[in-house]
Amino acid sequence: MKKEHFLQSEGFRTVAASVLSILIGLAVGSIVIIIVGLTSPNLSLSSAWDGIRIVFGGLFSTGRDASGTLTWGFNPTNIGNMLFRAAPLIMTGLSVGMAYKTGLFNIGAPGQYLIGTLVSLSIALGLPSETMSTTLIWLLAFLGGTLAGAVWGAIPGLFKALLNINEVLACIMTNWIAANLVTWLFDISNFKNVTESTKTGYIYKTTYNGVATAKMGLDKLFPSSQVNGGIIIAILFAIAVYVMMSKTTFGYQLKACGANRHAARYAGIADKRNIVISMAIAGGLSAAGASLYYLSGNTEFFWSTYQSLPSIGFNGIPVAMLASCNPIGIIFTAIFMSMLDISGLQLTNLTAYNEYITNVIIAVIVYLSAFSLVIKMWIGKLGRKKDDGADANAEPAPAAAPAPAGVQVETEKGGDAK
Amino acid sequence: MTFLIQQTLIYAVPLMIVALAGVFAERSGIINLALEGIMVFGAFIGVWFVRILQTSDAILSLKQSGNWVALQGVELLTMLVAAAFGALFSLLLSFASINLRADQTIGGTALNLMAPALVLFFIRIIANQNTLQMLTGDAASWFMIKKSTLGIDKNTDLGFFGETFVNKVYLATYVCILLFIILSILLYKTRFGLRLRACGENPQAADSLGINVYKMRYAGTTISGALAGMGGFVYALTTANCASNGDVAGFGFLALAVMIFGNWKPVNIAVSSLLFGLFKCIAASYASIDINGDGVYMLAEIGISAHLYRMLPYIVTLLVLAFTSKSSRAPKAEGIPYDKGQR
Amino acid sequence: MENQYAIEMLNITKKFPGIIANDNITLQLKKGEIHALLGENGAGKSTLMSVLFGLYQPEEGIIKKDGKVVSIKDPNDATALGIGMVHQHFKLVDVFTVLDNIILGAETTKCGFLQKKEARKKVEEISKRYGLNVDLDAKVEDITVGMQQRVEILKMLYRDNEILIFDEPTAVLTPQEIEELMATMREFAHEGKSILFISHKLNEIMEVSDRVSVLRKGKYIGTVNTSETTKQELSNMMVGRPVQLEVVKDEAKPAGEVLKVDRLCVHSHVQKRNAVNDVSFTVRAGEIVCIAGIDGNGQTELVYGLTGLDKPSSGTITLCGRDISHASIRHRGEHMSHIPEDRHKHGLVLDFTLEQNMVLQRFNEPRFETHGFINNKAVRDYANYLIEKFDVRSGQGPITRVRSMSGGNQQKAIIAREVDRDKDLIVAVQPTRGLDVGAIEFIHSQLVAERDRGKAILLVSLELDEVMSLSDRILVMYEGEIVGELDPKKTTVEELGLYMAGAKRMAKEEAAV
Repeated sequence: MKKEHFLQSEGFRTVAASVLSILIGLAVGSIVIIIVGLTSPNLSLSSAWDGIRIVFGGLFSTGRDASGTLTWGFNPTNIGNMLFRAAPLIMTGLSVGMAYKTGLFNIGAPGQYLIGTLVSLSIALGLPSETMSTTLIWLLAFLGGTLAGAVWGAIPGLFKALLNINEVLACIMTNWIAANLVTWLFDISNFKNVTESTKTGYIYKTTYNGVATAKMGLDKLFPSSQVNGGIIIAILFAIAVYVMMSKTTFGYQLKACGANRHAARYAGIADKRNIVISMAIAGGLSAAGASLYYLSGNTEFFWSTYQSLPSIGFNGIPVAMLASCNPIGIIFTAIFMSMLDISGLQLTNLTAYNEYITNVIIAVIVYLSAFSLVIKMWIGKLGRKKDDGADANAEPAPAAAPAPAGVQVETEKGGDAK
Repeated sequence: MTFLIQQTLIYAVPLMIVALAGVFAERSGIINLALEGIMVFGAFIGVWFVRILQTSDAILSLKQSGNWVALQGVELLTMLVAAAFGALFSLLLSFASINLRADQTIGGTALNLMAPALVLFFIRIIANQNTLQMLTGDAASWFMIKKSTLGIDKNTDLGFFGETFVNKVYLATYVCILLFIILSILLYKTRFGLRLRACGENPQAADSLGINVYKMRYAGTTISGALAGMGGFVYALTTANCASNGDVAGFGFLALAVMIFGNWKPVNIAVSSLLFGLFKCIAASYASIDINGDGVYMLAEIGISAHLYRMLPYIVTLLVLAFTSKSSRAPKAEGIPYDKGQR
Repeated sequence: MENQYAIEMLNITKKFPGIIANDNITLQLKKGEIHALLGENGAGKSTLMSVLFGLYQPEEGIIKKDGKVVSIKDPNDATALGIGMVHQHFKLVDVFTVLDNIILGAETTKCGFLQKKEARKKVEEISKRYGLNVDLDAKVEDITVGMQQRVEILKMLYRDNEILIFDEPTAVLTPQEIEELMATMREFAHEGKSILFISHKLNEIMEVSDRVSVLRKGKYIGTVNTSETTKQELSNMMVGRPVQLEVVKDEAKPAGEVLKVDRLCVHSHVQKRNAVNDVSFTVRAGEIVCIAGIDGNGQTELVYGLTGLDKPSSGTITLCGRDISHASIRHRGEHMSHIPEDRHKHGLVLDFTLEQNMVLQRFNEPRFETHGFINNKAVRDYANYLIEKFDVRSGQGPITRVRSMSGGNQQKAIIAREVDRDKDLIVAVQPTRGLDVGAIEFIHSQLVAERDRGKAILLVSLELDEVMSLSDRILVMYEGEIVGELDPKKTTVEELGLYMAGAKRMAKEEAAV
C-alpha cells in the first residue's frame, strides 16, 4: 500500500471542500451586491465595493472616518461580540451535527432553542435571588433549559422511532408549536418588561434578577463587547460531544444506527431507543445554546415570536454541514458564521446594503454542502492527476465516492433492487 | 357560513396546489422539501411584478377606467410570472439532486434558507422596510371580484351560492382549482404521467425501457417549482393582501403534510387540503366566524386562548401524520439519487 | 451469401475505473438459435449485455445487426433494432398494473393521452398465442415471481423484438416452471427469433442451448456447440481449473436438540395473511438443516421471526432449552449467530471500517470496552485475527471502508464475524448468493467444519445444487408452510421441485419432526 497523496487524504479534502464552499458563498454574495449596485439608481459602484469589502472583512471594520471612507483595524468589540454570538451557534451546530451523524436531520433546533429560552428565562427570573445564590440560579436555569430542550427534542424522535414519521416534518411542526407555546406562556407570565416603556414585547434581561453568565476574564481581553464565559462552555461541550461520538461505545451505537439502522437492529442495538436518545441530546444541546445566549444578562428576548423562528436555530444547519458534522470543526465554522453575522451588522450600519446578504451567503454554503461529496471527489481528482506518473499502478482509491460501477454490476446483484 | 367557506377556500386552495407541486416532484423521485422556500420566492416575485406593472400608466388607467376584466388578466399574468420564476428557482434543486446526486433534504433546506434571505435582501433595498406591498391600492380593490365589479348592486342578495362563490372572490382561486384538475388528469391519463410515475417508483425499470429518468425528474421538479411559485403568489394575494415579507408561515411544510396525508393522490389531497384549510381558517379568524349565522361568535366566546387556535393546525398535522403513517405509501424511489452507472 | 448472424458483437472492450469488465470479447448470435452465455459471477456477462442493450458504451469494438454496423446509444436504439431483454432483477413497477408495465415506454397515444384499449388487444393476442396467461389488471406486486417473468417476456413480445436476451431467468423459478420456460424459448427459436441465454447453470445450458460462449474474468474463452461438449468441459472453461462439483463431507452425527420451533406464525407486511403459517421443526447439534423453496414463500419472514428482526404472531421458539419467542435480538444472540440474507441491508454498516464491522454485536463485551470507551487496540487485534483466519481481502486491512470491498470479501467478513462468535446455532441465509465459485467453496467448507464441531446449522437456500449437496435434511417451504421433509440422499431434484411448487405435500404430522 502506498501512502496517499495529501491532496487525496480524507481530512484535507474535507477542509478544502469547506473552504471552497465558503469562497463560493462569499463570491455569490459579492455578485449579488455588484448586480444591485449596478442596477439600482441610488447605489453607486463604489458603494458596492464598500459592501464587498465589509462582507469579507467586516470583523476588522472600525467605521467610517470624517471623509466617509471606511476605516479598518483591530476591533475588540467586534471580536468579543463575535465570540459571544458564536457560543449559541456552536451549540445548535453540535445539535444538528450530532443528530446528522446518527442519521437524523434535526431541523427542529429552532423550536428546541425556543423551549430552552422559555424555561431558562422563567427559572432565572422566577427564582428569588434575595434568598438564593445567583450562581445557583444560573446553574438551575441552564440545566432546566437544557432538560426542557431535551424533552422537546425527544418528541419528533418518538414520532420517528415508533411511527416512522419523517423527522423533518415532525420537527417543523414542533417548531411552530414551540413558537406559539412560548409566546403564549410568556404572554401570561410576569416576566414581560414593563418598566422600560420603550421596550414593548420584550422579556426582562436576567440581570433584572441579578443573574448573568460569568465573564471569566474575557471582558478584559475584549472590552466593551458582550463576550462572556459562554464561549468557553460551548467549546467544552464541543469537546465532550467529540469524545462521546468517537471514543465511546455509546457513540459507536448511535453512529451505527445512523449509518445503517437495519444493520444496527440486526446486531441487537436498540435502534428505536437510540433515535429518541439522539434527538433528546440534540434538543438539549440546542436549548443549552439558548440558555448561554439569554442568561448572559445583556440580551433581551422578544416574546411575541409566534410568527417567526429564531435564525440561530436554523444556522446550526450550515455550521454543522460546513464542518462535515465534526464537533471540533463546528467550533471554527460557528465562529466563522458569527463573523458573517457581525459583517452583516456592519453592512447595515455602514452601507446601503443590509444584513440579509449574509443569510444569502449562508444559504449558498448549505446548498454547496448538499453535494460536498462531489466537490471532495473533484478535489481528490486534482490530486490524482498530478500524481499520475508516480502512482500509475496504485489501486483505485477506495474513496468515499460510489465504488466503481463495473465492479458492482456483476458481483453485487444481491444488494440492489431490493 | 359563507364567510367560513370563503376563508377555508382561501387557505385550502394554495395548500392544494402546493401539495400537488409536492406530488409532481415526489412522483418523479425527488423530495421537494423546498416548497416553502419556492412559495416565499414566488410570492415576492408576484408582488414585485405587480409593483412594476403599477409604475406603468397604461395599467393605472385600466384601474381608473374600472376595466376589471383586464385587471383579472393582470392577475393571471402575474400568476404566470410567479410560476415561471418558481420553476427557475427550483432548477437549483433539480441540478443539485439530479446532476450532482446531492442529499435532497439538505438541498431543499438550502433553498428554504436562501429564499427568505434573498427576498428580504431585495425587499429592504426596494422598499426600505421589511414588507413589500403594492404601490397603490390593495389586493381587494384591484383584483377581488365583488358585486360592484360585476355591476350588481351591493344590496342585491345573490343567494347562498352566489354570495359564497361569486361575491368577494379571487379568480386565482378558481384558476388553481381548474389547474389542479387538469394536472391530475395529466398525471394519470397521459403518457407523460405514466412515465413520470414510473421514474418515482422504479427508475431502473424506466431507464431500461428507454425513458430518460433525468429528463423526467427535471420535468417533475420544474412543474413542482412552477406550481409552488404560483401557489406562493396566490397565498400572498388572497391571504396577505398582496404583500410579501419573506415568510409564508410554514405553509409549504403544511402542504407537504397534506400531500402525505393525501397519500400522494390528487383526490385525497383535495379533501385533506379542505380539512387543513378549515383549521388554518379557524386559527386565523376564529374571532369572526359565525358558524350558523345567528350573530354569535361561538369560537371566540368559548374563551380558549388565541394562541391555542394558532397552534392548532400544527398539532393537528402532527396527529394526523401519526394516525396515517402506517397506511401511507410514498413513491418507492423518492429521495434516492438516480445513477445511470449503478443499475 | 446471406448473413447468418442476427447480432455480432466484435472485439468489445469495456473498462471501468480500476477494472476491465470486458476485454476484447466477441459474441456471434445466429438467427433462430438459442445461444448460451456462460460465466461466473463477475465474468462480465451482464456488462456485455448492457453494452448490447445500450446501457453502456464500449471503449472498443463494434456491434453488427444482420451484417451491418449499428450504434446502440440507449435502450431505445436497442428496441428499435428489435433487441429485448429479461433482466435478472425484473424491471417492473410494483404498483402499476401488468398492462401499464407492458406498455410503459412503448405507449400508444392520441394527443398524449394513453390509448390502452388497442394495447390490451395486442397483449391479449400475444399471450393467447404463446400460452403466456396473466391477469392484465392485477398489480405486479400482487402476482407471483413466475408471473412477473411472464410480464417481462410479454414486454419484449409487445415490442416485436426478434432478439431476446434472458439474463439468469431460472434463478427464481421452480423446476417445473423452468421446463415451461425452456419450452417457450424453444418455440421462439423455432419461429426464427434469436435467443441469448445467460446462465451459470450447466444443466440448463446443456438442455436448451444450441451453442455456448464462455467468459472468464472479463475475457472471452471460446464458443462450442452444445452437442459436442460435456458439463465438465464447460465447467473447466468457466472456472479455468477443474472444480469440485460436490461438497465433501462425512455423515452427520446429530446430537441433542438445539432449536425447536413450534407452530410458529409470522404476519406478512405485504398482504393480510401469515407469511409464516404454523411452522414446526427442530435443528439438532451437528447437522445442517436446509429450508428449501422458491423465493417469497415465507423463508425471509421465518428467519426474521427466528432472529428477532420481526415479532412472531404466535407459536414458540426454544433455543438451547430457553423460550426465546419474545426475547430481544441481543438476548437471542447469546446462542445464535445469523448470516443475513441481505448483506448490505443487515449484515454490514457499509460506511464503517472493517474493524468496526467485526465487532458489530460485541463492541460492549469487556474485551472491547473499558469504562464505556472503545478499546481500539483490542478491536484492531481482533479484526486482524479474523482477517487472517478467514482470508478477508481489502485495500487497507482493518481500516478499509467496507463499502469499497468486493462482494465476496464483504460476505467473507460476515461469515468470519458470525462463525467466530461461536454460538450453538448458525442461521445462514443464502450465504453464497452472487459469489464466485472459489468463495462458494470456501463458505461451504466453513459451514461443514462448523457442523462437524457440533454446531446446529439452519441454512436457507434458493439454489437447488446447494440444497442437495450441503444439507443433511431438507425442509421445503411453500406459501408459508413446511410441506415436506426430505432426505437429500434419497430424493431427486424433480421430487424436490414438486414440493417447492406446491404440487406435492406431506401430511402435517409427518413433516413436523
